[in-house]
Amino acid sequence: MMKRDLRLRAFLTGLALLAGAWVCVAADRPADAPTPAVLTAMQGELSRSMEAMSATDPPAYFISYTVSDRQYTNVSGSNGALLSSTADRARWLEVQSRVGTYQLDDTHKLGDRPPSWTSPGTNVPIDDDIPVLRREIWRETDRQYRAAAQALIKVKTSEQVQVQTAEGAAPDFSREQPHTSVGQPVEIRVDRKPWEERVRRYTAEFSKSPAVLNSIATFTAQATNQYQVNTEGTKLAFGQIHYRLELFVQSKAPDGMDIERYANFDWLDPKDAPDEKAVFDSIHRLIQEAEALDKAPLANPYAGPALLTGRAAAVFFHEVFGHRAEGFRQKDISEGQTFTSKVGEKILPDFISIKDDPTEAALGGQMLLGSYPFDDEGVPAVNVPLVDHGVLKTFLMSRSPLVSIPHSNGHGRRQLGYVPVARQGNLIVSSTQTQPFAEMRQKLIALVKQQGLPYGLLIDDIAGGFTFTGRGQPQAFQVTPLVVYRVFADGRPDELVRGVDIVGTPLVSLTKIVATSDKQEIFNGYCGAESGSVPVSAVAPAILISEMEFAKKETSTDRPPVLPPPGNDPEAKGQKP
Amino acid sequence: MRKFATLALLAVFAMPLTAARAAGNHAGAPAAAQAPVPAGEGDQTLHAMHDEMERARTRLVLAGVGKPFYIEYRLLDLDMRSVTSSFGALVANSTSRTRFMSVDVRVGDYHLDSSNFISEDGFQGFLGSTGEVGIDRDYNSLRQDLWLATDQAYKAAVTQMALKQSFLRSLTKPPEIDDFSQAQPLVKIDPRIDPDWTSRDWSEESREASAILKNFPQLYGTRVNYYLVYATSYRMTSEGTILRSSRHLAAIEAAMDTQAEDGMALHNYYSSYAGQPAGLPDAATVAKGVANAATELMALRSSPLVPDYTGPVLFDAPAAASTLAQVLEPSLSGARPPLSMTRDFDAFLERFGGRSEWSGRVGTRVLPTSVTLVDDPTLQEFHGQPLIGSFDVDDEAVKAQRVSLVESGILKDLLMSRRPGPDFMYSNGHARSALLSDERPLSSNLFFQSTDALKPDDLRKKFLDACRSDGHDWCLEIKRMDNPALGAVRQEDFSQFIGELGGGIANGDRVPLLVYRVYVADGREELARGGILEGLTLRSLRNILAIGDDAAVLSYMQNPADGLAGTAIGAFGLAQGGIPSTVIAPSLVLDDVEIRGFHGEPRRLPLAPAPPLK
Repeated sequence: MMKRDLRLRAFLTGLALLAGAWVCVAADRPADAPTPAVLTAMQGELSRSMEAMSATDPPAYFISYTVSDRQYTNVSGSNGALLSSTADRARWLEVQSRVGTYQLDDTHKLGDRPPSWTSPGTNVPIDDDIPVLRREIWRETDRQYRAAAQALIKVKTSEQVQVQTAEGAAPDFSREQPHTSVGQPVEIRVDRKPWEERVRRYTAEFSKSPAVLNSIATFTAQATNQYQVNTEGTKLAFGQIHYRLELFVQSKAPDGMDIERYANFDWLDPKDAPDEKAVFDSIHRLIQEAEALDKAPLANPYAGPALLTGRAAAVFFHEVFGHRAEGFRQKDISEGQTFTSKVGEKILPDFISIKDDPTEAALGGQMLLGSYPFDDEGVPAVNVPLVDHGVLKTFLMSRSPLVSIPHSNGHGRRQLGYVPVARQGNLIVSSTQTQPFAEMRQKLIALVKQQGLPYGLLIDDIAGGFTFTGRGQPQAFQVTPLVVYRVFADGRPDELVRGVDIVGTPLVSLTKIVATSDKQEIFNGYCGAESGSVPVSAVAPAILISEMEFAKKETSTDRPPVLPPPGNDPEAKGQKP
Repeated sequence: MRKFATLALLAVFAMPLTAARAAGNHAGAPAAAQAPVPAGEGDQTLHAMHDEMERARTRLVLAGVGKPFYIEYRLLDLDMRSVTSSFGALVANSTSRTRFMSVDVRVGDYHLDSSNFISEDGFQGFLGSTGEVGIDRDYNSLRQDLWLATDQAYKAAVTQMALKQSFLRSLTKPPEIDDFSQAQPLVKIDPRIDPDWTSRDWSEESREASAILKNFPQLYGTRVNYYLVYATSYRMTSEGTILRSSRHLAAIEAAMDTQAEDGMALHNYYSSYAGQPAGLPDAATVAKGVANAATELMALRSSPLVPDYTGPVLFDAPAAASTLAQVLEPSLSGARPPLSMTRDFDAFLERFGGRSEWSGRVGTRVLPTSVTLVDDPTLQEFHGQPLIGSFDVDDEAVKAQRVSLVESGILKDLLMSRRPGPDFMYSNGHARSALLSDERPLSSNLFFQSTDALKPDDLRKKFLDACRSDGHDWCLEIKRMDNPALGAVRQEDFSQFIGELGGGIANGDRVPLLVYRVYVADGREELARGGILEGLTLRSLRNILAIGDDAAVLSYMQNPADGLAGTAIGAFGLAQGGIPSTVIAPSLVLDDVEIRGFHGEPRRLPLAPAPPLK
């Protein structure tokens, strides 16, 4: 089962960001500035390695080096106290050494076998010592070549007997134009002290509610300078900065169901950090939602119309459509290949178009987290129109081509240590047939009445879910709505319910979109899949679906705590301040 | 609170700061109530622990289920500094401050409680009874975290107890040994020590110590790690124990590797441990040690292969100490193993040293009649050399005791925690744990001595005589054993090393590092590489032919992980997560040792020559 969730990565993962703080981009280097030491070391080893490895058996036909030089600051608080405060810097080297040919190489997918082992890379000196950097690169190159040579033997011996898909004739690696771009390095300087105070304050505010069992606030700031060279002539150096504040609370309903609420802020420039009012508004909203969910009745299984707000719809599209539009799935026989043969066909209502555009850094003044200048295979980011007026046009492509799509469109992405595959960047859903949200609500009620139901569902927030696209799994998706209201046909006030799961068949639910709102909303998060966790955005208007199916969520068997919270215990004596 | 993901953490420690005054009375009754935090104590951590435990002790109960009979709070407050260099260039440099808590709640009674049981599925709470807690040392956030952790631990205990009782009913002969022994509560509050990172420039020292390796261009890779920890550990129990102890550890661990011309992978290591950062050698001294290890590795690189061999082997004291650490340690524990619902797990434990071979054999001869074996955590030094395995109170707050394990070859005693075993009921102060893991009886400073020891020349003569009488032209001498945990430059190398050893690991195969052929005719020595000592187990120690009057102190980090105990993989860990220990041993001559030469597939040499280092 593949797990890929557009995830609200709460606290366990680190991302980070930002703060009110004082970040500064390094001053421009003079035009005649020397090549960065890392790039010099990489280029020196690249030519030497290729010379040796292309002349051996099996020959390497492509080598690439990527060094990610990352500054990372993390300040985290819980329940009113500081949990951790760290600032680190590290350089991570990844080597790709491909043996065989573009058509058939060591990465060739064999049936449903997992890919052969490749080294995740290694940390290399943060000092600019060129000979030592070269020594580390040399070692890793040899290690990676050895793994690739082994893998190619396996490919060659089993290739004949493997079932081939329609895409089996596609090459293993696409030929791409080289790119040269050496930009200015980026740097952050964060004063952690004010953030330490803030995360204490934020989580202390959460603690005022007896419903909040645990709260975590995490500020992260990171500056990554990525250096990349390959034997096709690509030479890149570019930097990206990202700041993030995450708020996370846990509560428990009286029947034991876990309640989790989460919010995040993302920004690129310290001046865009959320002010205290924005953060406290968010905290109060999370508290209020957690308290309301604790008391909310359990949902019943339901089939009928549903209205998804923009953020919820964005997650929905990311899971249901986006993952299935990732190119590599179309050539893997263990995948469901929902869309493989549908290019040129209508898969959505004709008022809906979808693109994935990593070249957009922001939308309506809000940062888009899935932006980048070059992907992790050194290919420039490309705005890819995936669906045009309901018709599927193409797929998101890394350098693993399809017969019909021989080139990358700049979507080969990975978390450090993983092999890049086609992933989403900024998935943007737009509509030509829009209306104000209030009208969509009226339309929901009309549909409910038409179908003779007592109520419809309004889904305000969806947590990252799981999407099963493997053949062994039912072709269904399951995302977890966190905030769901019953909207009654008879005009009663909306009622919050909990324990709702969406079930159903993706193609079907996508075709049942009957209306969209006139305002797009942005969801920024981290998506986990085959190539690890990568930053993405999903953007969508609110959508009204004429029929969706909902199931009851499994509840926890873990009851609420036996004793009241220590800070709110009527029987306790001698409490300390 | 944040749940631990994986605790890549560390364990700590050496050298408690003050001597204990705890009574060693084994049979004390449990405290009727918790001990109060001493008046005037300003440490809010202690107050939060006390107040939350008091609430749990008196009021935590689920309808229809018993109250807890034992509650234990542990908290580890850590300041860590870690610096890594490669050939003079800094690779990593970090400082961190973290606090972890672990809560144990038991239901039942001392005879039969909810512990010592491995079930197939237990309680899965969403917050857990362990986790990362706030570093502010404040009162309120810790109480909140302890409240939830105690609740989860109690529910886990209740579930575990029900599963255990139903499993026990399915057994024809349930174990009669108690689950938990009583111990005298201890109140001991050491001063807290603030870390000092500034007295020396650690990143510069690490650069300097590793830069000397630029003189060895045939090395492939290297990492020189400096690792410094200050830890304050807290322990509070519902029996009345309150313990706050400060410990620190400083370590330098260096790995380096290369390949011989025929493709054999080779590595070497250097390590130095001290109770505190100031005790670490200066950069020049470390550089010398590291260069010495590199020189050895270069010599190995061009040395011939170790041949297949059966006969007497001389273990120099450092090699003997390492071998004894591997062979003896799994059998020193007298605690009963946990009950397990899963047969596979049982079989796994059995195979990889989870069962003590000496348990149940007290009073029988286990070693040559001249040998005494003592574990003594109370000794601070040996002939002027500090012993990093020392402590005054163990990790269950029981006063450390010298334990005379073997006298005149006869097994007299075993290392005990508060988990009773077939031979002994009470703790003798040897419960140790890394990073809030479960405490187990482990060695501290283990002394292997003989009343019939030979001077070096006599020992060597006896070795060569044995060799001659077996008809050999030469025999083998091992000067140092391998420590793969230290020698592997990268984790994959370590995994590959284990893979190549294969099933031999479980049968007592051991890896020497510096092996010499010693010629009978003229005493000439010749270094050789490769070779595995086959099936060297406790039984092999009956073939001790001679024991020297010398002694080497092996300082090492005992691997706290379960499994593979009694192997180099299972015995040795790293400073970042190991338990500081020493073995003090003399040179040994063992007869009838089997050595298997290198028969593996050599690896290909690198395709491109190494780039210059300067």
